Amino acid sequence: MKTQRDTFWDTLFELAKKDRDIIVISADMGAPSLDKFRTELPHQFINTGIAEQNTILVGSGLAKEGKKVFVYAIASFLTLNCVEKIRVQNAMMNIPLNIVGVGAGFSYPDSGPTHHLLEDIAVMRSMPNIDTLSITDATMAQAVAENYGSYTNTKYIRLERQPLGEIYNETKDISFEDGMTEIFKGEDTLVIANGVMLLKAHKLIKEHKLKCGLLDIYQIPINSKKLVEVASQYKRIVTIEETFLPGGFGSAVLESLNDHELSIPVKRIGIPIEKGFCYEYGGRDEILKYYGITEESILADITKGL
Amino acid sequence: MDIKTLEEKCVFHRKKVLETCLRAETGHVTSSLSCIEILITLYYKNYIRQNPNDPNDDDRDRFILSKAQASPLLYAILADLGYYDLGELDKFAQKDGIFGVHLQHTVPGVESTAGALGHGLGLAAGIALRAKMDRKLYLTYTLLGDGELYEGSIWESMKFASHHNLNNLVGIIDRNYLCTTDFTENIVELEPLTDKIEAFGWNCIRIDGHNLEELDKAFANLRSRPSRKPTMIICDTVKGKGLDVMSFKPLCHGIPPKGEDAEKAKKELGI
Repeated sequence: MKTQRDTFWDTLFELAKKDRDIIVISADMGAPSLDKFRTELPHQFINTGIAEQNTILVGSGLAKEGKKVFVYAIASFLTLNCVEKIRVQNAMMNIPLNIVGVGAGFSYPDSGPTHHLLEDIAVMRSMPNIDTLSITDATMAQAVAENYGSYTNTKYIRLERQPLGEIYNETKDISFEDGMTEIFKGEDTLVIANGVMLLKAHKLIKEHKLKCGLLDIYQIPINSKKLVEVASQYKRIVTIEETFLPGGFGSAVLESLNDHELSIPVKRIGIPIEKGFCYEYGGRDEILKYYGITEESILADITKGL
Repeated sequence: MDIKTLEEKCVFHRKKVLETCLRAETGHVTSSLSCIEILITLYYKNYIRQNPNDPNDDDRDRFILSKAQASPLLYAILADLGYYDLGELDKFAQKDGIFGVHLQHTVPGVESTAGALGHGLGLAAGIALRAKMDRKLYLTYTLLGDGELYEGSIWESMKFASHHNLNNLVGIIDRNYLCTTDFTENIVELEPLTDKIEAFGWNCIRIDGHNLEELDKAFANLRSRPSRKPTMIICDTVKGKGLDVMSFKPLCHGIPPKGEDAEKAKKELGI
């Protein structure tokens, strides 16, 4: 199974061969799929070294002058180290930059908390003119790359590090236009997630033949109109995220529902901030366990009252 | 434009900056006064080649004012050049005005929104790199404050620009030796600045930033790209130049003179 990252860069490479304005800037982040840019399209590839703030600035300068720029690094560094640069260049001036970060949530489980990314959704969604695209699988990563020509604002493309599963690969004609996809229609309970947690929920629902709905909201800010349309068919909502709960994905869902005065109880599953950062090792599931999140606990939260 | 006319422009803009900030009771007078001769030379000697009737011309030279505190000065120059009516200065930081204390890209002739420091050099490097990629002949200038050099991102961008041989990029440092609270050399020493910039792979020239002839000489040959390296021009200046009440004094950043000081300042500039 291909990673989201390789699929994304492979797709963009083919597009870049035909569009000289596509420029890829890596902050010393490598990938076999990026090597092709370096060797075959050297005039469209720049390595800025470990200097993320300069990466955002140079990328914004190029983008201001019409280049279609994709900056790339470990997501926690490219977002959190550069918030004010992104705020002025991309949120304030609306210079459209594609910020491609790898390492959503606990994608780097053994690297410790500096590499765990638990605040980016809250931070990035607090600024205007920036769309977060929290990628669920490689098929979606491919679509996001293919659509590059239509982007008029900054996209924060948030990638998983490991290949975790595919759900869109057998779906024909999926447009990814609404910012969300209703994967299962169900009764009573609607599960909402994206990325790794969407895949986890998908697996649980299939395995246990649950009759709940499943909604993949991969774009934030949320398309509230569409969310309300889907959510109003349910009695209860469970959101799942692999980020700190305050201001995160579940909060965004709550805000959308509340702003439309839709009263549906929402259970948020995510990283409780009271537990702080995690220095546990042994894989992603061990870390989640530290925070009290297991398949069993998620299942219990989904099926509560069913 | 001859020296005498340039000097007259300096006098005009010095007055304009003070008047604008006194009227608005806000704005950075001293930060503007330290770079008057620099901006006058760049704009009125046509070192920045632009056409106010075609502000988005892709072949225009780019000017990124990274030390956005000097916006009252840039706004006045752009008005004088015809980008908009000089009367806009009367509405500086007012309810119906088109601009405020810092810099905004929505103003005709202004390339970027600024106010947060440490942004301009990297942005300018990206703009200059694009010129290289697309074989565009424009130059990209950026004016940095010396206090801004404490920002780490400046040095990230400095390394980047020389590595990429951006000899179409011109950095200018307004070396007025003052931050808000104290002199730079008391806060954290910046000197020897030329050595540091040269060590980052740049050509570095150091001049008197209030001397129109030296400025003219420093800018004269840049378009012919005498070397592969980017060029940094350190301009030694006096923060608040021309106003005894606030020149070369700490704690005169970002506030126009008041009361008796304001009267003295007006008298000094012949207002």
